[in-house]
Amino acid sequence: MLLHLLNRAPSSSPVHQDVLRAMGEEDGLMLIEDGVFGAVSAQVKHFPGLEGRLFALREDLEARGLAGRCDARVIIVDMDGFVALTEDAQRTVSWF
Amino acid sequence: MRYALLVLGGPYSHQAAHSALRFAHAAIARGHRVETVFFYHDGVYNASHLSAPPQDEPHLVDAWSELRRTHGTALQVCVAAALRRGLLDAREAERHGKSGASLEPPFELTGLGQLLDISQTHERLITFAP
Repeated sequence: MLLHLLNRAPSSSPVHQDVLRAMGEEDGLMLIEDGVFGAVSAQVKHFPGLEGRLFALREDLEARGLAGRCDARVIIVDMDGFVALTEDAQRTVSWF
Repeated sequence: MRYALLVLGGPYSHQAAHSALRFAHAAIARGHRVETVFFYHDGVYNASHLSAPPQDEPHLVDAWSELRRTHGTALQVCVAAALRRGLLDAREAERHGKSGASLEPPFELTGLGQLLDISQTHERLITFAP
């Protein structure tokens, strides 16, 4: 299982499409930095079929005023939880 | 676990360095060892000894040095990326006839081959990009 890291908003970069094409069935996707814009309800449609393995970093949501706007399908984790996800994954892949 | 971080983003222009630093502290707090941070591309600017941000802002260069002091993290800088961007230690400054050095210990200039070595000797390598 790989953990993919994405730091681009779906509205500003099409790289999330490459991520989805590259992801295995068990892989997780962690939204960090501007990637967390993809976690709000209006944008989460860009990440179909990832229920239970789509994560967003709490600190980056809060820094952008999005903490209360995160879609229920996204699992919010803090930095400690981010590290825990990298423990579970064999490898991480950063997309930018 | 033995962690390594790869930082590709310059300070004060992208979030990459801040994210990497926060990740490093969180990993250490969970009992891991962050053994190496490798700076590459514009990430090498994190090693500028001449960096002098306002006092009420985070000082990334000092924060990296503190990580070395308190946790023994090696701070490795790609020499090819660094020389192109004016980041030279005393030896390279002398070699290239420059009047001063902009990179000092605990940062160390090293080759890109070291990054390959890191990827094989550490259990986790996390990339923080601009």
